[in-house]
Amino acid sequence: MHHHRWPGHRRYGPPALIAAALAVAVVVLTPVVFLIVQAFQTGWSTLQPLLFRSLTGELLWHTVSLTAVVTVLCAGLGTVLAWFVERTDLPGRRIWAVLVVIPLGIPDFVVSFGWRAIFPSFGGYWAAVLVMTLAVYPLVYLPVAANIRNADPAQEEVARSLGLGRFATFWKVTVGQARLAVLGGSVLVALVCLAEFGAFEILGFSTLTTEAYTEFKVGFDTAAGCAFSLILVGLGAILLVGEGAARGKGRAARTGSGAPRAMRPRRLGRGTLPVLGGVAGVVVLALGVPVGAIVYLIVQGGSSTVPNTSIWGATVTTFGYAAGAGLVGTIGALPIALLSVRFPGRPVRIFEGASMLVLAVPGIVVALTAAYVTVHFLEGRWYQTTPLLILAYAVMFFPMAIVAVRSAVARAPVGLEEVGHSLGVRRRSVFWRVTLPLIAPGLAAAFCLVFLETATELTATLILIPTNANTLATGFWAQQTNLSYGAAAPYAGLMVLIAAVPSYVLGRWFDRLPARSAAAGVAPAGPAGTATEVLAGATMAR
Amino acid sequence: MTELAVRGARKSFGTLEVLDGVDLTVPAGSFTAILGASGSGKTTLLRIIAGFERLDGGTVVLGTEPVDDGRHTFVPSEHRHIGYVPQEGALFPHLSVGRNVGFGLPRGPNRRARVLELLDMVGLSGLHRRYPHQLSGGQQQRVALARALATDPEIVLLDEPFASLDASLRASVRSEVHDVLHRAGTTSILVTHDQDEALSMADQVAVLRDGVIAQLDTPAGIYQRPLDPGLAQFLGESNVLHVRVERPAGERAAIAATPFGALAVEGWPSKAAPGPAQVLIRPEQLVIGEAARSALVATVESYEYYGHDAVVRVHPQSDELPDLIVRVTGGTPLVTGARVGLSVAGSVVAWPHEAAHRDRVGPRGPRA
Repeated sequence: MHHHRWPGHRRYGPPALIAAALAVAVVVLTPVVFLIVQAFQTGWSTLQPLLFRSLTGELLWHTVSLTAVVTVLCAGLGTVLAWFVERTDLPGRRIWAVLVVIPLGIPDFVVSFGWRAIFPSFGGYWAAVLVMTLAVYPLVYLPVAANIRNADPAQEEVARSLGLGRFATFWKVTVGQARLAVLGGSVLVALVCLAEFGAFEILGFSTLTTEAYTEFKVGFDTAAGCAFSLILVGLGAILLVGEGAARGKGRAARTGSGAPRAMRPRRLGRGTLPVLGGVAGVVVLALGVPVGAIVYLIVQGGSSTVPNTSIWGATVTTFGYAAGAGLVGTIGALPIALLSVRFPGRPVRIFEGASMLVLAVPGIVVALTAAYVTVHFLEGRWYQTTPLLILAYAVMFFPMAIVAVRSAVARAPVGLEEVGHSLGVRRRSVFWRVTLPLIAPGLAAAFCLVFLETATELTATLILIPTNANTLATGFWAQQTNLSYGAAAPYAGLMVLIAAVPSYVLGRWFDRLPARSAAAGVAPAGPAGTATEVLAGATMAR
Repeated sequence: MTELAVRGARKSFGTLEVLDGVDLTVPAGSFTAILGASGSGKTTLLRIIAGFERLDGGTVVLGTEPVDDGRHTFVPSEHRHIGYVPQEGALFPHLSVGRNVGFGLPRGPNRRARVLELLDMVGLSGLHRRYPHQLSGGQQQRVALARALATDPEIVLLDEPFASLDASLRASVRSEVHDVLHRAGTTSILVTHDQDEALSMADQVAVLRDGVIAQLDTPAGIYQRPLDPGLAQFLGESNVLHVRVERPAGERAAIAATPFGALAVEGWPSKAAPGPAQVLIRPEQLVIGEAARSALVATVESYEYYGHDAVVRVHPQSDELPDLIVRVTGGTPLVTGARVGLSVAGSVVAWPHEAAHRDRVGPRGPRA
């Protein structure tokens, strides 16, 4: 509507902003564009045998069947856990609510490392299914729990009053309401499965992604890498399109105003013990095994295997890369977010949709195209340099940044900027004094999300990292590839500390913010939305 | 002296035409209310004056300077030297009260003194360190006013500033704001959909309807002499009857022949021929008396008691008449079904038939 626009720029926004957004969109879309360029250069005659050989069919089957099973398991596990934690009198709900989320912060390859360290023969398809389910179910749990928490309990009460039984109420009302959250979380799970490399490599299970890496690293075979990348991006695109279609026009919303009443928790009665056992079991498997394995390895290894000073160098490098990527990603997201909120129109929607397309592009594809472009078009000049690596990170995690920044801009009322202008303050000054402070929490959120993702990134880092540098992830990888589990454990432990603890704090912080600003009585401004909203929002490729 | 002149203002959003040639003149130092139903374009008009939207056609002149001509001239908001008080105050949530008020002031030793002076003026001394969420709705609104007045604007624009306040708070905040603006001596424009607010605060009221100013007059003038039945309905509850207006030979005033007897007609155009017309009888003009002594007898349909007064709906015995609304001062409640007599106090307004065909301004419930 017109109320959100700045005057003076009648339709599309200030030219400088458009130029900036355009530049960012071009950079973000580079991997997809170059994948297509690469495919044409390689030629159909070269690609065809690669695409239709039996190895491809086998890998495709591995990838698709694993993705499907893990997604279904995560959808079920995440939803049921969310319901027990949010809507029943499960003893220790608050502690469980924290514990069931933490596995999200533990890198998937660390989870499989932990299992492998305890059970050396652990591997294959079902091992991969188990590890991935335990590592990523919080992607469903988080949005569904938020949805259940914010849903009006009166709806369940009305359903009961209309004569629906307990199970019918759960299925039709609770799940019915949360279906968009389940869907969004499930699509994220599937995308993660497509892109996963480290966890499968450790478990000796090959998918399109692990094979693309091997072809590139071992054979430096760009044609085969290109073929696998095309299939992966195709699968990702199918997921996003499918989600859009399934999402349809359905909207779950509270009608009417007023804060929802707190729900009186459902009593579990005799079911308490089995449910408690189940939830505790999930936490033990998802959190206890990897953390326990790491702690055991470190303690058992003593000082003999605890390395060296290189781990501190790797930590510093990791922080540097993560901060750089967070900064670049956040600043890059700003122009597109500003345009999309202040000047919503078809051109902007294309920008935004295009930048969300990156969700379907696994990190390995981003890395491979970055390698391809620098090697083939720049004579290897930028290949394996810090700027290129940071840029690749920023592109990979751009959707997270844009969702966080966008929701912050959407919550900063344009009316406040107008008031600033009416008081005779210049536009640039109003941006610094009003807009930026209001969206600062969203910018911080975007930075943190990209930072955390980057700090545990493995696949693209292995391909693009400068020759002599090491991050925690690559340091860990080098040790575990040599089967030096004791030496790998400290790296894994540090990554868990860096990723899991802050993501928990961050999550709590986001969950509280909106309530505080709503209580302010002024238009809610500033906070970027809950972490869950960010995660769920990341799937909304519009 | 004229502070603001809007001429032929046109504005559409897509295919939706919001303003279709608005003319409005606001004298310096006056308090003007722009009154309109929701969706009438009144906020758009205010936003155009503020410089948040651009005209499609027409001109806006502030003081002597054209600020928007729908073509090349467009002075952005920050150079218009206006004060703007938006709905719900829109205080900057990340700044203290003092910093909110001082937002438009240049940095310097005088800023703090000016902020304290302004807060004192709106009756909020000592609150400059608070944050907006620590204030009540009424206090937020007064801070917003102080902020708008900080830069000594020539003109202050108020966009439904009282709509979000509790009914109990609204009246007092309204009169405080009115006093502050009056003392500051600025020209003020208030946009509202609330008739009471417009009539009680303004020196002149402009009713916006179908994208044009349907009537511009003093509050008394606009209430007592609405230009057509639609405006009459919009400005307050009204009884509109179909009658014949005559001009007896030798008499200056026209006479309406009504079931209540002959009533003196105000404002009947001197050139208008006698003939069918509509007359406006405000509910407070109807007087309830004894059935036996009145020209018109009716039965009580309903009685709504508001404390300070009451609204009675009566059904006249004559089937040609619609139900009538009568406003009485408190007193003893009337019983449903009671027979009462009705008479009219004072003169009435009448419109020849063609003027009576205007649309209503908008839906309107009873005034509490």
